[in-house]
Amino acid sequence: MTPGVRRILYALLAVAVSLGILFPTPAPAARDVAAELRKERGRLLEMKEREEKTALELTEALRKEKLSKGRVGELQARLTRQRSLLARIDRKVSALNERLERAEKAVRELEAAHGQARTDLQRAEVVAFAGQRAGAWDPWHPSARERERHLMRVYLEADAEGVARITRARERKEEELSGLERQVAVTERTMAREKKVGDTLLSRQGEERRRLADIEREKKRKEKELKSLRAKIARMESVVSRVERQVKERERRARKGAAGGGTARESTEAPRRFASLSGGLSAPLAGKVVTRFGRQHDATFDVTIENRGVEIEAPSGASVKSVGEGEIAFAGSVSGFGNVLIVQHGGGLFSVYGRLESFRVKQGEVVKKGTVVGRLPESPSGKSVLYLELRAGGTAIDPTSVIPLER
Amino acid sequence: MSGPPSLWWIDWRLSRAALVRETIGRFLFFCLLGSALLSLFLSGGGSRFLAGRYAITAVLRAEVPSAEAEGLARKVAALPPVRSAAYRDPEAAWKEFLRAYPGLDPLRGAGGNPMPGYIEIRIRPDRLTGADVGLVASTLRSVPHVEQVLAGEAWLPRLLRAGRVASWVCWGIFGAFLAGFFLVGRLQERARAVALAGDFSFLAERGVPAGRLAFYRAAAAAVSGFLLAAAGTAAGGGALFLFLGNDPFLEGVIGPPSDLLLPRTVAAAVLFSCASALLSAAASLHGWRAARSGRK
Repeated sequence: MTPGVRRILYALLAVAVSLGILFPTPAPAARDVAAELRKERGRLLEMKEREEKTALELTEALRKEKLSKGRVGELQARLTRQRSLLARIDRKVSALNERLERAEKAVRELEAAHGQARTDLQRAEVVAFAGQRAGAWDPWHPSARERERHLMRVYLEADAEGVARITRARERKEEELSGLERQVAVTERTMAREKKVGDTLLSRQGEERRRLADIEREKKRKEKELKSLRAKIARMESVVSRVERQVKERERRARKGAAGGGTARESTEAPRRFASLSGGLSAPLAGKVVTRFGRQHDATFDVTIENRGVEIEAPSGASVKSVGEGEIAFAGSVSGFGNVLIVQHGGGLFSVYGRLESFRVKQGEVVKKGTVVGRLPESPSGKSVLYLELRAGGTAIDPTSVIPLER
Repeated sequence: MSGPPSLWWIDWRLSRAALVRETIGRFLFFCLLGSALLSLFLSGGGSRFLAGRYAITAVLRAEVPSAEAEGLARKVAALPPVRSAAYRDPEAAWKEFLRAYPGLDPLRGAGGNPMPGYIEIRIRPDRLTGADVGLVASTLRSVPHVEQVLAGEAWLPRLLRAGRVASWVCWGIFGAFLAGFFLVGRLQERARAVALAGDFSFLAERGVPAGRLAFYRAAAAAVSGFLLAAAGTAAGGGALFLFLGNDPFLEGVIGPPSDLLLPRTVAAAVLFSCASALLSAAASLHGWRAARSGRK
């Protein structure tokens, strides 16, 4: 059903109700109005169910939004850390490259020195060979020749040691160079990997932001929808209330016609009217009021909610008793309240019992004060909640004002 | 004339020219032989020459300071077989090395001096033997400052053998000269005895015994031989003194001139003169007997 069609139906309904109020029909017509009232009440409950569902969806959207924001924040922090890490790696790569250049230069210099040393050594060997060959047959200075040969050995050993030292230094430098190259390669691979991780994080952050935007849109849509629903519910309650007043007016007229007229009590006297019920009122069960009557602030949505009843926390499976004598006007399931039982106490007084698991009475059955009318559901926590609403003349009153309930 | 005529008179009066020639010849010969004797005595054959060629090199460790090295050189020089011990620092060793291998000089322009310092030890000529060299070398090897001792172990025995052979040859030549002197003297004496046989017979007829004649002649030959040898050795020594003072090579081979004035050198010269006197007497006696027996 589209909203337009629904609006038209609502308008028709409003017109019908208005006509009914303006042009009241005789007693048989009052029954139709009551049926219509029940029908409207059903639709109202259906709308409340939708409201509750929307509120739940909004809560879920808020939870998702919070989660998503947390993820975005976490991703942002990780991205910051990633960028810092990348900067560090980049600096390290630069330092390694500088060391690499220095090492390469040192290796080149050592290679040149090594070549020069080898050439010098070869020349020295040639000179030594020539000199020793020339002095081999010099019997006049045998000791001097022997000493010169020894000094030449010392010289050649020193040169060879120099060449070996340069060779070792070059090998060490080459090893260092190789190590640096490996280090640079490893660092570059690390940097590439970290960049990839960073890109992934960026991508995930983008996705998360998009998801967050979707959630935001969804939240706004739900809030709008919730607002709209609440407005509709308010209008509907207004209509129902008007119908109720019309019903009561009819009843009053009928009683006046039948009994020669009694005076209707004003709605402002509703608590006294409840208190004046025969037998008085008693608590439906032993428990503690956890949700109070009247305007209450909802921290979740940051809105003020008008509670028309109270919620009493009691042990799971506790029996629910009628607060007073009356007739079962309604026993059925209502979205958001579970199984709901409405007791009509007469004189426009009603008591509503919600969130029941089962009924012990049937619609139309007359009950007395204290009669067990239903039972609370079982809960793993061992606690269940009863919704109790008292209505007098179409107006909800605070049950704690007429029934002794623990707060 | 009363009494027998003097033998000197006979010789001098009857063979004056021959006697003069013979005396001059013998003097010159003794000059030569005396200088040879002194040369051989001072040089020890080839020992001094070889000792000048030979040196032990104690290569020091690189970390030994110069002061310690010089102290070590002084201690080594105090060893009995050692004539001198000189420390050469690494710089001196490097210069010596570059003198020996001049082609290496430009190659070490940038490098440092790798040469170690060393001590050059020279042995006394009279102690240049394998045992003394081994003693010095082993002493040096036991010093921790010394890295290596270059004592020419590979060629030193050959060098010493060559020195001994050279010494033997020199002394052999000297002995041959003496033997030649003896033979020539004998011939001369015999010839004179033959030539003067009538005169000796004349003396014998007048109661001079032949033995006394021989004795007198031998004694005269000994005296003249001693005097000639002493004079010749002195002259030869003087000439050698002059030569040694002017020729470093000769000084290196034979020895310093001052050694000629040493008592042992003088004693050797005296002994040589005495030996020459005995040799002259023996040659005279032997020639006399040969002449008397008619042998040649």
